[in-house]
Amino acid sequence: MVVGLGLSSAEKSYIAGGIAVDLRGDGRGRHHFRDFSIDTSIIPQANGSARLRLGGTDVIASVKAELCAPPPGRPHHGKLEINVECSPTAAPEFEGRGGEELSMDLSRALQRSFLGGASGAGAAIDLASLVVLEGKLCWMLYFDGLVLSSDGNLLDALSIAMKAALSNCGLPKVEITSGTNPEDDADFELNEEEFTPVDTSRFPVIVTLTKVGKHYIVDATAEEESQMTAAVSVAVNKKGSICGLTKRGGTGLDPSVLLDMISVAKRVSQTLITSIDAEISAAESRHDDQ
Amino acid sequence: MDFISPEGLRLDGRRPFELRQLHAEIGVLDNADGSATFEMGNTKVIAVVYGPREVQNRSQQQLDHALVRCEYSMATFSTGDRRRRGKGDRRGTELSLVIRQTMEAAILTNLLPRSQIDIFVQVLQADGGTRACCINAAALALADAGIPMRDLVASCSAGYLNSTPLLDLNYLEDSGGGPDLTVALFSKLDKVTLLQMDAKVPLDVFEKVMNLASEGAKAVTQFLREILMENTKKLAFAKEPLKV
Amino acid sequence: MLQSKAYVKKTRHGRVLKVVREHYLRDDIACGTITCTACDNSKACLSASPAPIIVFDTNVVLRQIDLLENSAISNVVVLSVVLEEVKNKDLSVYNRLRTICSNPARNFFVFSNENHRDTYIKGLAGESPNDRNDRAIRVASKWYHEHLGPASKVVLVTNDAENKRKALEEGIDAQTVEDFVRKLGQAELLDLLVGAGTEDAQTTADADDNRPSKRKVIYPEHKLMSEITSGLHKGIYHQGKLRVNRYNGFEATVSTESLGQEILIHGRIDMNRGFDGDVVAVELLPQEQWQENSLEKIVEDVDEDESEEPVGLVPGSAEQLPELIETGPAARPRGRVIGIIKRNWRQYCGSLEPVENTSSAGGKVNALFVSADRRLPKIRIQTRQLENLSNKRIIVSVDSWERTMRYPSGHYVSTIGDIGDRATESEVILFENDINNKPFSQQVLDCLPPLPWSLPAEELQNPNRRDLRQVRVFSVDPPGCKDIDDALHCTLRPDGNYEVGVHIADVTNFVLPDTALDHEACQRGTSVYLVERRIDMLPKPLTEDICSLRADVERLSFSVIWEMTPEAEIISAQFTKSIIKSCAAMSYAEAQARMDDSRLSDPLTVDLRNMNRLAKIMRQRRIDRGALTLASPEVKFEIDSETHDPLDVGMYQIREANQMIEEFMLAANVSVAEKIVEHFSQFSMLRRHPVPSPKMLEPLLLTAAAVGVDLDISTSKALADSLDRAVGGDPYFNKLIRILATRCMTQALYFSSGDCTPPEFHHYGLASPIYTHFTSPIRRYADVIVHRLLAAALGLSKVPGALREKTMLTSVADNLNLRHRNAQMASRASVELHTLIFFKNRPTDTEARIVRIKSNGLIVFVPKFGIEGPVYLTGKKDKKDESDWIVNEQSQTTESRDGKYRFKVLDKLVVHIEVVEPQPNRPKLQLTLVDQANECMSIK
Repeated sequence: MVVGLGLSSAEKSYIAGGIAVDLRGDGRGRHHFRDFSIDTSIIPQANGSARLRLGGTDVIASVKAELCAPPPGRPHHGKLEINVECSPTAAPEFEGRGGEELSMDLSRALQRSFLGGASGAGAAIDLASLVVLEGKLCWMLYFDGLVLSSDGNLLDALSIAMKAALSNCGLPKVEITSGTNPEDDADFELNEEEFTPVDTSRFPVIVTLTKVGKHYIVDATAEEESQMTAAVSVAVNKKGSICGLTKRGGTGLDPSVLLDMISVAKRVSQTLITSIDAEISAAESRHDDQ
Repeated sequence: MDFISPEGLRLDGRRPFELRQLHAEIGVLDNADGSATFEMGNTKVIAVVYGPREVQNRSQQQLDHALVRCEYSMATFSTGDRRRRGKGDRRGTELSLVIRQTMEAAILTNLLPRSQIDIFVQVLQADGGTRACCINAAALALADAGIPMRDLVASCSAGYLNSTPLLDLNYLEDSGGGPDLTVALFSKLDKVTLLQMDAKVPLDVFEKVMNLASEGAKAVTQFLREILMENTKKLAFAKEPLKV
Repeated sequence: MLQSKAYVKKTRHGRVLKVVREHYLRDDIACGTITCTACDNSKACLSASPAPIIVFDTNVVLRQIDLLENSAISNVVVLSVVLEEVKNKDLSVYNRLRTICSNPARNFFVFSNENHRDTYIKGLAGESPNDRNDRAIRVASKWYHEHLGPASKVVLVTNDAENKRKALEEGIDAQTVEDFVRKLGQAELLDLLVGAGTEDAQTTADADDNRPSKRKVIYPEHKLMSEITSGLHKGIYHQGKLRVNRYNGFEATVSTESLGQEILIHGRIDMNRGFDGDVVAVELLPQEQWQENSLEKIVEDVDEDESEEPVGLVPGSAEQLPELIETGPAARPRGRVIGIIKRNWRQYCGSLEPVENTSSAGGKVNALFVSADRRLPKIRIQTRQLENLSNKRIIVSVDSWERTMRYPSGHYVSTIGDIGDRATESEVILFENDINNKPFSQQVLDCLPPLPWSLPAEELQNPNRRDLRQVRVFSVDPPGCKDIDDALHCTLRPDGNYEVGVHIADVTNFVLPDTALDHEACQRGTSVYLVERRIDMLPKPLTEDICSLRADVERLSFSVIWEMTPEAEIISAQFTKSIIKSCAAMSYAEAQARMDDSRLSDPLTVDLRNMNRLAKIMRQRRIDRGALTLASPEVKFEIDSETHDPLDVGMYQIREANQMIEEFMLAANVSVAEKIVEHFSQFSMLRRHPVPSPKMLEPLLLTAAAVGVDLDISTSKALADSLDRAVGGDPYFNKLIRILATRCMTQALYFSSGDCTPPEFHHYGLASPIYTHFTSPIRRYADVIVHRLLAAALGLSKVPGALREKTMLTSVADNLNLRHRNAQMASRASVELHTLIFFKNRPTDTEARIVRIKSNGLIVFVPKFGIEGPVYLTGKKDKKDESDWIVNEQSQTTESRDGKYRFKVLDKLVVHIEVVEPQPNRPKLQLTLVDQANECMSIK
C-alpha cells in the first residue's frame, strides 16, 4: 500500500510470526474479520448511503439514481457506474493527485466484481430490473465510494459499504406519461414521496486473502498489508457463486494454492454476508426508531 | 420567491435570526492526529489534522514557524446533483486558501518551527454554508490534535433576502440570489479574521448582515466550547481508572 | 425539534433529483387568540368565544374564495397546510386569501401548524399526501379546541365527506360549507356558494332555453393533459393564449410560438369553452377549411347583434384597434381548441338578462349573466334574490363549463348598484379595468406628515436644497387642476443667455421607499382620470396640498435648471433639490391670454413670451429630427357641477401655451433620462416607443393610397414629412390623416435599462434616443422611481435596495405598463359612458368622416364628439348579392346600386346620432346615414 509505515525488522517478524501461529497482532486468527459497524442513510441527499467502520478503516458509499436511455443495443438493461475516491483525510499522501492511483485501482477491482461481462450478464444487480420503459428509459445507478480513513482491506470494506448503501437505496416511483408508442419520446411523472427498494440478493461482497509468508489471511490491517507478497480478491454472492476475481502483488501463486484461497474466501464470505445482513437491518431499524 | 412567510418563518421553519441545528463530534478517525465532524443542518463536513510533523518538502520548511497546509475537497455525492469534481477546481483552490489562512491566523505557528500541519477538509454533504462549516470543523480538529491556538475560531454565514437579514442560509436560500456573507471570529479577542461576501449591497444592509453573521459566529463559538469541554471531560474520565 | 423531509423532483432537464430539506418544529407559535394566556398574543385577532373559531379545509378555500372574501366571514384560522396546498393549486386564490389575512379588519389568523410541535404530523405508510394533509387539518382543529379549553368552539368547515366523517368521529365540530353558511342566517351569502346543485341547474337551464334537444353534448371533449403534452411535444397541437376579438365574441386568435403565426378560431364550438386570456391547446383544421372568407358573417344561433361593432371613442393607438382580420390570398391557419391548459377566469361585471317567469319568489332561480365585455360568453348563475338583482350591475365568478351546457356556470359575488346609474357605471368601469379605488388604508395614511404641513426649518438649512424662493416661478395647467406637479421659471441672464428651470414636486421627500405608502403607490401605478372624478395614486393631502406646487406657498421641489442660448441650445443642465414659491398658478387659457395681450409687459408675461419663443425653437428642432406631430381627438365634457351630468361636449383645444409646457417637460425628461442612465446603466427606469412595424402601418397606407396620398414610412422623419405634405381638399384632411396615423402606433412602454440594449431605448414618436418620465410624480409612479434614481445619481440618497434587483425593476415596469393601459381604457370608457348620457336626450345630426369601408357599411368618425362607429348600409340579414351597395374594399369605395351615392374613404357625410335600447338595460349609440342628397355627399 501507499502508506509508508516505516516498520522495524522486529515488528515485521512479529507480524509474520503471529500469522504463522494463527494468532495475529490484534488477537485474531488468520481467517477472522475484524469487528465492523454499519450506519445507513448518512447522506440523505443520496438515494442510498452507508458508512462502514472496519477497525481503523472507515469508508462511505452512496448510491444515486438517475434516469437515462438504456445502453445502445441493450434496451432491456439499466446501467451501473462505480467510482472510488480516496480522501486525503485517510492519509496525507492522498493530497492533490496523490490518491488517484489507488482510487483507480480500487474502482477497477470493484467494477470487475460488480459490473458483470460486456453483455451485462453476471452484474451485481439484475440490470433488467432497472428498466423503466423498454428501450427508452432506465435507471442509472452511480455507486460512489469515499475512503475516509485507511487501515487495510479497503476493497472488502468498500464492497460491504456499497452493499449496505444499495440495501438502503430507494428508487422513486415513476409513471410513464408518454413514450409507450415506439416513435414517441419518453416522458414521465414522479411520485414525490414513494420509493421502491432494490433487490440486493445478488450483490456480492469481496473477500481479499492476503499472502504473508507462507500463509494467507483475511481482512489484513495496513501493517499486515505492508508485508504481503500477493493478494487475491474474490467477489462472492449469497449463493456462493464467484462474481469476480483480482490478483495483486508481485509474487506468483501456485494454482492449487489459488484454488484453496478461493474456497476459503467462499467459506468466509458466507458468514460475512450473514453478519453484514444483520448489521444492515440493525442499522435500518436504528434509523427507523429515530 | 418568498423566503419568509408573512408569519415570519423561513421555508424550513426557522426564524430569520436562528441557526440550523448544530452537531459536532471530535476524534472521529483513529489514524489521524486530530479529527472532527461538524454539521450545520444538512451540511456535513469532516476535518482531519495531520501534524505537527516533519516538513515533507524540505524546501518549504520555515525556520521560525510552522508550515500550515490545507486541502478542501467535496465528495462526489455531496451535492444534490451528482458531479465529479476534479481536484483543484477554482472554487476548491480558493476555499483551501481561505481555510488555510483563517486557521493559520489562529494557530500559534511560532511555537512549532520547522514543522508542518496538514488540514484536510472533506465535505460529505453540502446544503449551504459549507465555508463556515469547514472552518468550524477544522477548528475542532486542530483542538483535537492539541495544536496551540490563539483563540477559538468560529464561523457563520448570513444573507439578505426579501429585505430581511437571514442567519445561516441553507442551499435553497443561498440560491435565492441575495448576498451571502461569511464571517469568522476570534471570540475572546473579538476580532474578525475572515470576511467574505459576494453581491452588491448598500452599506446599511451590509452592516445589518455583518452584525447578524457575527452574532451567529458567537453562538457557534459557544457551541464549540461546549463540545470541547465535553470531550475533555470524556478524556479525563477515560483516564481515571489508570489513576486508581 | 427537527424533521427531515425527503422527496424527489424532476428537474427542468428531465433529470431526477432527490431533495432533502430540514423542517424545524417549534414551540413558540402563537394561537392568535386574544384571551389566550399561554401564547404571545401581540398579533392575536381571534376571539375564543362566543363566536366559534372557524377552520376552512383546502377544498373550501379553493372553491369558495368569494365567500371568504365577504366580510360576514370572520374569526378564521388559516392553517399553513391549507395555504401551502392552495398556493400549489391556484396562485390567484392564494393571493386573494393572503390579502384577506393581511387585512386586520377581517380577523383571519394564519397558524403555522406545519411548524408547530404539537400539530405537525408525519405521513403514515400508505397514506396519500392528500389524506395526510386532511389529517393535519383535523389535528390542528382539535389542537385549537384543546388549547383553548372546553368553553371554546372550533368549527371545521369541509366539503370532503371523508374528512368530515373522520372529524366528527374525532370529536371535532365539522360542517359542510352549505350548513355553515345557512347557520349564519344571511340568505344572500348562499348565492356566493359555488356549485350548489349544478345538476338541477342543468335541467332547468335547458328548460328555459326552450330547446330540449340541446340537452345533448354541445362542445367537444377536452383532451387529457397527458395527450396535450405529448401532442404539443410532437407539434400536432399548439399552445398559446386565446385572444377573443373585443368586437366579436365569436372570433378569436391564438398566437403560438410553435407555429410562429396566429391561428384563427371561429365560433364558440371551435373555441370550445375557452375564455379570453386562457392558455389553450389548439389543433389546426385541414387546410381546405382555411379559405373560408372571414368577411362573411358567422352565422350561429345566437343573438345577432353580438357580432355588431359598437360605436365608441376613436382608438388612440394600435392596441385599441379592433383586431382586423386580414383577407387576401394567404388565408391564415384556422384551428380549434382541444384543451385548456390554464384558465384565466376572474370575476366579471355585468347584469342579468331579463327573465319572464320570475314566479318562484325568494326561491332559487336560474339566470343568465351578460357582461358589457363582448369577449365573454353569457354566464349562468343561480340566485335567490332575482327581483333585487334584475336591474343591478353585479359581479359574478365562473365555476365550471360542462360539455352539455351552452353557457358556463357561475355564482353571484356582489352587487355594485343600479344599472344606468352614473356612479354605478363608473364603478363598473373601474372594476373592469382592475383599478383600486378603495380608500387608502390607515397604514398608508400613517405615512403622511402631520397636517397642516409647512416648510420645516431644517429644510432651509439643508445644504443639498437650493433656496429658489426668490425666483419667479409659475405654473400652467388645465383649469381647475389641483395636483400641480410642475412649475417653471425663465430668466434672462446678464450674459444674454437664459436660465430656464423646470421644478417638479418633490414627492419622494414624502413617499419613502419600502413604506406602506410606497407599496400602495407602486401597486396603483398611476392616478386615473375619469370624466367626473379622479382616482388618486397618492392620498389627497399629498396630491392636492403638500406636494402640489400651488401659488404663494413654499413647496419642496426637484429642479432641472438649464442654461440656454437665445437659440435654445442647452449649454448646461443642473439638477437639484430646491424650495420654490410659485407666484402664479395659471390655466393654459390664462397664460395664452397674457402672452397674446400686447398691452401687458410685466415680468411674468415677459417670462412667458421668452419661454414660448424658446419652446417654439425646440419644437421645430424636434420636428426636424423626425418627431411625429400626431393627433388624437380629445373630447372634453362640460359637467354640471350638481348632477355631474355632461352639459356639453367638444374637442379639447390645444393652445400654444400647452405646447410650450409640453416642450419643457419633454426636455426635462430627456435631460433626466440621460443623467440617470449615465449613473445606473443597468437599472434605470426609462420609456421607449418601439418603431411600428410595416404591418401595423398597413391600414394607414391602404387608406392613404385610396385617397391618392403617398406616405413614406421608412423612418419617423420620412413619415413626419410625408404627413406634412398630405394636404387634401379641406383643412381637416391633414388632421384626419394624422389621427389615422396615430392609431397605427404602438404605445410607449416603461422598461428597465438593463433589459434592453441602448439602441432599443429609442422613442419613435418623440424621435429621441432616450426618454423617461420625471415630471409628474404626483400621479405616476414611474416618475417616483426616476426621482429616486436621480437623487441617488446626485449622491443625495441611496438607491433603494429593491430597485437594484433587476427582476424587481422589470416587474415594477411591467405593472406600470399594465396600470397605464388600464387607466387609459378606464378614461376612454368613462368618456364613452358620458357620451352616451349626453346623447340620451339629444339626438343630433352632425358631420362625420369615413375612415373605412367594409362589406356591409361604413366606419365613420365624428370629429366633434371624438366618436367612431359603423353606419350600416345593408340590413343585417341581407345576403351580400342582394345588397343595394357595391363595395370595393381594395380601393375603399362603395356605390349604391341605383348609382345615387358613391362614397370613398375620408369623405364627408352627415350622420344622425341617437341612443337606442334594442335590449333593456343595454343602451347604445347608433349612427345612421342622413339620407339627403346635399353637398356633404360626393355625388357621382
